[in-house]
Amino acid sequence: MGRTRKGWRRVINGVNISAFFVTLFIALPLYWLIISSFKTPVAMGDSPPQYWPSPFSGANYSQAFVQYDFGIYFRNSLIVTLCATALVLVFGTVAGYALGRLPMRGKFTLMVTLLIISVFPEIALIAPLYLLERNFGILNSYEALIIPYTAFNLPFAIWILRNYMLGIPKEMEETGRIDGAGPLRTVWSIILPMALPGLFTAGIFCFTACWTEFLMALTFESVNNWRTIPVGIAEFGTPLEVPYGTIFAASVVAVVPIGILVFIFRKFVISGLTSGAVKG
Amino acid sequence: MTSVSSAAEPAPASAPLVGRHDVNRKRMARLGWVFSAPALIFVAAVTIFPIVYSVVMSLSNVTVTGNGFKLSGVTGSNYTLVLKNSTWHYALGFTIVYTLITVAVELVIGTLIALVLQRLTAGRGWMMALLLIPWSMITVINAELWLYVFNGIYGVMDAIFNAVGLGHPNFLGTNDPAIISLMIADIWKTTPFVAIIVLAGLVMLPGDIFEAAEVDGSSGWSTFWRITVPLLRPTLALAVMFRVLQAFGLFDLPYVMTGGGPGTATTSLAILGYDAMFKNLSFGPGAAVATTTALLVLLGCLISLRTFRVQVGKEDM
Amino acid sequence: MWSASPINTTGVDVRTVLIKDFEKEYPKIHVTLVSAPTDTDTNRATLATEISGGSSTPDVFMGDVIWPAQFGEHGLALPLSDYLPSSFFAQFAPGLVSGASYKGKVYGSPMFEDQGFLYYRKDLLAKEGMSVPTTWQQLEADSVKLVHAGLVKYGFVWEGDSYEGLTCDFMEYLTDAGGSVTNSSYTSASLNSPAANTALTFMRSLITSGASPSAVTTFQEPQAMTAFADGQAAFLRNWDYAWADSQTPSTSKVVGKVGVAPLPTFAGQSYPGYSNIGGWNLYINPHSKNIAADLDFIKFMASNEAQDVLSVQYSEIPTTTAVRDSSAVIAENPVLATVPKTRLIARPAGTPNYPALSTAIYTNINAALAGSTSVSSALSAAQSQATTALTSPAGGL
Repeated sequence: MGRTRKGWRRVINGVNISAFFVTLFIALPLYWLIISSFKTPVAMGDSPPQYWPSPFSGANYSQAFVQYDFGIYFRNSLIVTLCATALVLVFGTVAGYALGRLPMRGKFTLMVTLLIISVFPEIALIAPLYLLERNFGILNSYEALIIPYTAFNLPFAIWILRNYMLGIPKEMEETGRIDGAGPLRTVWSIILPMALPGLFTAGIFCFTACWTEFLMALTFESVNNWRTIPVGIAEFGTPLEVPYGTIFAASVVAVVPIGILVFIFRKFVISGLTSGAVKG
Repeated sequence: MTSVSSAAEPAPASAPLVGRHDVNRKRMARLGWVFSAPALIFVAAVTIFPIVYSVVMSLSNVTVTGNGFKLSGVTGSNYTLVLKNSTWHYALGFTIVYTLITVAVELVIGTLIALVLQRLTAGRGWMMALLLIPWSMITVINAELWLYVFNGIYGVMDAIFNAVGLGHPNFLGTNDPAIISLMIADIWKTTPFVAIIVLAGLVMLPGDIFEAAEVDGSSGWSTFWRITVPLLRPTLALAVMFRVLQAFGLFDLPYVMTGGGPGTATTSLAILGYDAMFKNLSFGPGAAVATTTALLVLLGCLISLRTFRVQVGKEDM
Repeated sequence: MWSASPINTTGVDVRTVLIKDFEKEYPKIHVTLVSAPTDTDTNRATLATEISGGSSTPDVFMGDVIWPAQFGEHGLALPLSDYLPSSFFAQFAPGLVSGASYKGKVYGSPMFEDQGFLYYRKDLLAKEGMSVPTTWQQLEADSVKLVHAGLVKYGFVWEGDSYEGLTCDFMEYLTDAGGSVTNSSYTSASLNSPAANTALTFMRSLITSGASPSAVTTFQEPQAMTAFADGQAAFLRNWDYAWADSQTPSTSKVVGKVGVAPLPTFAGQSYPGYSNIGGWNLYINPHSKNIAADLDFIKFMASNEAQDVLSVQYSEIPTTTAVRDSSAVIAENPVLATVPKTRLIARPAGTPNYPALSTAIYTNINAALAGSTSVSSALSAAQSQATTALTSPAGGL
């Protein structure tokens, strides 16, 4: 990558053109989502459709928060998701490290067992899980979701983290040992910073999985105060009417935290990216 | 510390060194178990009972009563019912083809996106944030959005097709277009998933190999195929494996967009299982569908691991 | 605790109004509302999991009219007839109580009802000098004429998607043609009959003749409603809520231009055509700890006071004959006025395997409507799948 181009050729190159098309591919349906959330119910059914809402109405947003308790759902989703993701990252990183870099027997069996667990269709597990939770009396609480979310996202997180741990050069532990650090210190101060892209990946996936999970949230939290966003949105309207505008509005709001998270951590990610390129 | 001194000692006296190395290995192994125990115990505690219960359900006659599920007898009849069912055959074929196509497309597009992201100089952070938005949408909302887009009367896709003279195709009401619509909705939402996994893998590749290749005069594409891809194999395998896993569980999109229709054209295995269990309240056959699906997916994952020639547990320290 | 999915979207939530009125009359009983998911299948799934898991809540739940057989068979609802006298059930309109019964016991108390109606654009018919069609054939011809005259984009919109609503629509055409889905004891299916053939062929012809857009095979109630309320269609078959929807300026462009009539029938049959019964019943959780209070709640919902609120203030069709026939209700809106004129047909929900039976119907009918199979092969497939549903213990897959 030592070539430099002059003038407009600096901007117009293969990479940037591709980036442009990718952006278009992602952004167009999002554009549709966002503008539809500002359309009035009458305008939703226009044919040909309105490419820009007129009138431009924020009624859907106020309806989501006022008529439906979207604020409560948002809070619940946030708490449950953040807790589960934190737990997954903590447990998963050490486990991923162990299964990737420490000489354990039976690694293959363990990894495949974890695979089997993440593979089992959720629908079959709902009823027995409900019985379990009922027995322990934890229905309609935060634990009702945090515990299964952690358990079901750990296998995938372990697979991801292990994969990235494997990519770290083997000599890293040696460096730690030479410096006189114990295994835990080695992991914390040497391995962890290098595995950050992996942690970010696992974290973002866990967050998204928990944020958008529907089936368990529906079954384990039946009282309105404990409901999460996906379940809350499933209640907009009536059995015969689907208020698309309000649903889209709520969805736009639900997507905001992800954007914020990535924005906050983008320095992390970018430094991870550049350090990875320089390393070696 | 003993470990420090053993590393600093010179090479001779191999016998004691080997002995120490062995002890070290054992200690490392134990440490490994200590590290992984919390995660493993947690997962086991929560998932063992439901999975075992499910498998047991699939092997008995289950009746739903007001006082719980009554399981009676050990029988393979649920499985014979499922295996002989023609809708299940269709769902199996449909789900497999759907998985193959969407995963392949997403792999290609996702890798391309990752490559672009890696080389992008300005706006990389923004693009990543943008990429993550479709992925973080609730699957049901995504389905509702595309349902709105593909609506046969007031959908934007219909307007576009009409404007370019392709008339009014009934996207969700005709077999193949319905399947393709589902795929588009899926691909749009989950390609970022593949892109991020591959990107993180790309980023961790050591840079000096690429510099050496460039010095050797290797062109972009040839570098890609001969160096990048082989190094990326474990990452690609991971991405494929988990996408296969998710694609097999295809549920939300057909549920919202087509209800499994037109007819049964978009009935996936998960929809079939859900209908059996929660509409017909036949939990025995439903559990059989779930278990067979799990076995099939496991097979699929193991096959994709082999395809990428990734071995687990053979790396040693 | 009362679990009910949302009933109305505009104005005050009718569920809270009813609860307030109930608590005024029974000050010692406190009701908590649990909002159930709007999708009826999701609702059923959650309730089945909770109740069979032994949960004592919700105490009372509002459920679909097609649930009694399934819930009764699996012990998921209390047999109300064991607790309430037959005089209680006599106050409901004919047919509703038998629809809520299974094996001689009544499981649900009809709360409010729903039927199919024909909605039409008064202004368009007037322009072309047409009268309200009384036969399906007339409706088809009128639709085509209006589309060709360029007055409207589409003629007749209805619910043709592969879902429960298609079974509802199909029942109307089938019964008009003189057919039925099963025999009265639910032991054999009769879907491969000449009547069924007539019905399905006609439904398919609506699309091929251009009376209905081909997209109608993807329409559920919201899509059909939007097409009509947006002014794109001349005729609509929908439930009673469509009236209120079409007269609300924020959701409709055809305010003041809509008329309601009973559904047409086939030429040669007696008018009007049959309307499918929909609606919601109240059921009691067998594990409920407050059965006496639950029964009071149910009795209140069937009382004139509650039924008046539902019908006069919220335009739902009442279930008790007293309120249905009252002049105040009839004067309220054209839909309620049309109710006494309609003929009703219920879906064949008297078997616990009804969902499988309905699936056999709607998946095949939808395939035929989409043109991917012929009418005859769709009906024979439906027949064999329906037979499996009726005869196998678990209802098949």
